[in-house]
Amino acid sequence: MPIRDEFTKGFWEILPPFRLVLGLCPTLAVTTTGINGIGMGLATTFVLVFSNFFVSLLRRLIPRQVRIASFIVIIASFVVIVELVMKAYFYQLSEFLGIFIPLIVVNCIILGRAEAFASRNNPILSLADGLGIGLGFTISLFVLGSIRELLGSGTLLGFHVMWSSFEPFTFMLKPPGAFVALGILLGLMNLISQYQARKGG
Amino acid sequence: MRDIVRMILVLTLIGAASGLTLSFVHRGTKERIEYQTIKFVKEPAVKKVLTGYDNDPILDRKKIGVGTDERGNPIELIIFPAKRQGQTFAVAIEGKGKGFGGLIGVMVGISKDGQLLDIGITSHSETPGVGSRVEEASFTDQFRGLSAKGALKADGISGATYSSKGVMSAVSQAIGYVANFREEIF
Amino acid sequence: MGDFILLMIGAILVNNILLIRFLGNCPFLGVSRSMDTATGMGMAVIFVLTLAGMITWLVHHYILIPLNLEYLRTIAFILVIATLVQFVEMVVQKTAPPLYEALGIYLPLITTNCAVLGVAIINIDEGYDLITSIFFSFASACGFALALILMAGMRERFDLVEIPKPLEGFAIGLITAGLIALAFSGFIGLA
Repeated sequence: MPIRDEFTKGFWEILPPFRLVLGLCPTLAVTTTGINGIGMGLATTFVLVFSNFFVSLLRRLIPRQVRIASFIVIIASFVVIVELVMKAYFYQLSEFLGIFIPLIVVNCIILGRAEAFASRNNPILSLADGLGIGLGFTISLFVLGSIRELLGSGTLLGFHVMWSSFEPFTFMLKPPGAFVALGILLGLMNLISQYQARKGG
Repeated sequence: MRDIVRMILVLTLIGAASGLTLSFVHRGTKERIEYQTIKFVKEPAVKKVLTGYDNDPILDRKKIGVGTDERGNPIELIIFPAKRQGQTFAVAIEGKGKGFGGLIGVMVGISKDGQLLDIGITSHSETPGVGSRVEEASFTDQFRGLSAKGALKADGISGATYSSKGVMSAVSQAIGYVANFREEIF
Repeated sequence: MGDFILLMIGAILVNNILLIRFLGNCPFLGVSRSMDTATGMGMAVIFVLTLAGMITWLVHHYILIPLNLEYLRTIAFILVIATLVQFVEMVVQKTAPPLYEALGIYLPLITTNCAVLGVAIINIDEGYDLITSIFFSFASACGFALALILMAGMRERFDLVEIPKPLEGFAIGLITAGLIALAFSGFIGLA
């Protein structure tokens, strides 16, 4: 089943931002809580799914020389839609994510998928690809956000879960903590893959 | 040549389609965005200064023109009416006054019979711990029940004269709006 | 003048665009493997970002606001930046071949560098006037170049040491960036 393969590869094989090291800015900036990670991830997924679909639909129509410009217009249109809808219905979240909502337009994952996948495959496969990678990205952001939230403020999804004498290390919520947390997580993922590879080969 | 025509045609079409969709989405969300923005920024202050209403003052807000600024653009004043059974009995209006660190925004609740109900600071950039004490209840509570017609009397905060004066002039400005535009406001 | 110096220190050291505001991290990890590429990228970003900050400000104030089209800001800015990058590439190639030689390969990467769009949006959101915007854009870009070059200097040494296998590549890069960011947070009291 090619559709299922295209969908599931986004969850491990090329899971962004770990395997596909793109889209780091929102990953680092907004993941101070799990919920913010989900919000950012879903906004990105929305743009990714629709831009993939339309790029694929128009792929025979768009001349090669202007394809990047066309892709950018298509992506930017969906970003503006997300911006407006989030302001109208999720005001607090959109205030928190702030500048990173318009910056979805320069998230390399989206342009990267448009160029590497959607412009070469049919709309259905592109839809599956966008959805898989988008949801993989959302899960990554959620995991990273939850880890930082748990260690940095002792809560998970807003609920206190750590023991009462737990001293939160606010370092995790600060910018340096974001880099270190992502780096260690990436290292752990590499460790797992290397272990698997050794066992398999 | 044919390539160039095709390039221009495709880009124009994509641009037009995107412009059309976006203006449509913009029109659909405009009202709601304005409502949300005002709700999150002003609602806490409005809730503090008005009580006993059964409507949504944010939803029922009205705008009136109150003169023009130095560039000739009209200045709009937003009025948040408090209604009981459809009758407006009080309004909340934001006034601004110059404090120590910049403009201080004060939401002022004024009843129809000309009484100050309460005030709430919406924005300020006063010195933390000194001028910022104008936000404390011991200062703002003094304005409760004062008449919106006579001269304002309130004790300033010692050490924060400019900030206290800024709040006073913001309250006076709001009262002035009610006096000058009574017809439109109530 | 004092305000400008403060703005400059703020943009370069205190709110460093890469390490504290998290803008432009993709090229940060991608091209910080050697000193030469880092310097080239840094210079290209300073050049384009300063120009883009100015032009997007003009577009916003003289086209979008009069036409009441502020909601199209994102799409307008990214198109302006993409066109500008293409244009700069052409002009530099024609007029200054040595410069093109040095910066050429980095220019196309800048379109999708979120630092450029990010700073353009910050200029508008903070309500800066034209001069302040140009200055802030330049200072932010200098901050970008500084962090990039510092990072490259560190990463060049990685070739000489043994790094645990799972941490090789991006993982150790991110942790190093975290430590540099930690050092930069020592400047917080300055502005």
